[in-house]
Amino acid sequence: MATARLQSESEAGLLARVRGGEHDAFYELVRPYERGIYLAALSIVNNDADAEEVVQESILKAFKAIGSFRAEAKFSTWMIQITMNEARMKLRKDRRHLYESLDQPKKGEDDGDYVPRDFADWREIPCEALENARLREGLKRGVASLSAKYRQVLILRDIEHLNIAETAKLIGISQSAVKTRLLRARLMMRDALAPGFDGAWKKGR
Amino acid sequence: MAKKPIEIDCEEVWRQISNYVDDEVDPELRAIMASHFKDCAHCSAILDGTRNVVQLVGDGKAFDIPASASEKFYNKLNDHLATRQPKKR
Repeated sequence: MATARLQSESEAGLLARVRGGEHDAFYELVRPYERGIYLAALSIVNNDADAEEVVQESILKAFKAIGSFRAEAKFSTWMIQITMNEARMKLRKDRRHLYESLDQPKKGEDDGDYVPRDFADWREIPCEALENARLREGLKRGVASLSAKYRQVLILRDIEHLNIAETAKLIGISQSAVKTRLLRARLMMRDALAPGFDGAWKKGR
Repeated sequence: MAKKPIEIDCEEVWRQISNYVDDEVDPELRAIMASHFKDCAHCSAILDGTRNVVQLVGDGKAFDIPASASEKFYNKLNDHLATRQPKKR
């Protein structure tokens, strides 16, 4: 709590400086959220090059619109909202929605019950195993392979650690839809990673 | 006579497993599910795996961005400010 208050106090100071014409303060304001806004972009466009372009555009837009930012909002959430809007616009512009709609599941997926494919009792993968590039790649591939609707929820909730209400608002869906999509996303991730859970991640560092 | 525990089937457990991990189920359902996990190896394996997925993807190391990429994030803002600077004077 104290940290959050300190952060928002320092943010308020930075905001005042930006509004007073100190452009450098805007860089300081955005820097702590670079990863968050990048992942928010990636959750929609699903490739690194497009996500990078979306972030560039979003940072510029946020700078131009800083006068409309209201102090009662969280700066991080405001930035993520701008980024997600920008990413959706990019998809529409690129007509990628013809190939993958943000709301339509891929073939073979629907909103019915998801039955896990693998019931094996795997050993837990310790977080230290993330030093293993193959595991990191496996996680990234797993996330990228999810349909957009599941990928977005997983990234906002489990990677960015936003709460259910924030996630629902950013995507524009109900909180119960967030929970349903998150369930499926996690179970699909579990199945996607299962082949490596038998110890294979520890090999071939 | 001991009260028979309320049972829950595996499919209902799968429906709620993510809420269980997030502590988003009410205490009564939580207790029923906890008791199910003790007896059901399949559901218990799915619970462990789901928790592990949440831990792994939530770890900052899994989805970091290279420093070289983050410098590029400011390219458009830099260009915008560069064109504005002369006017400011």
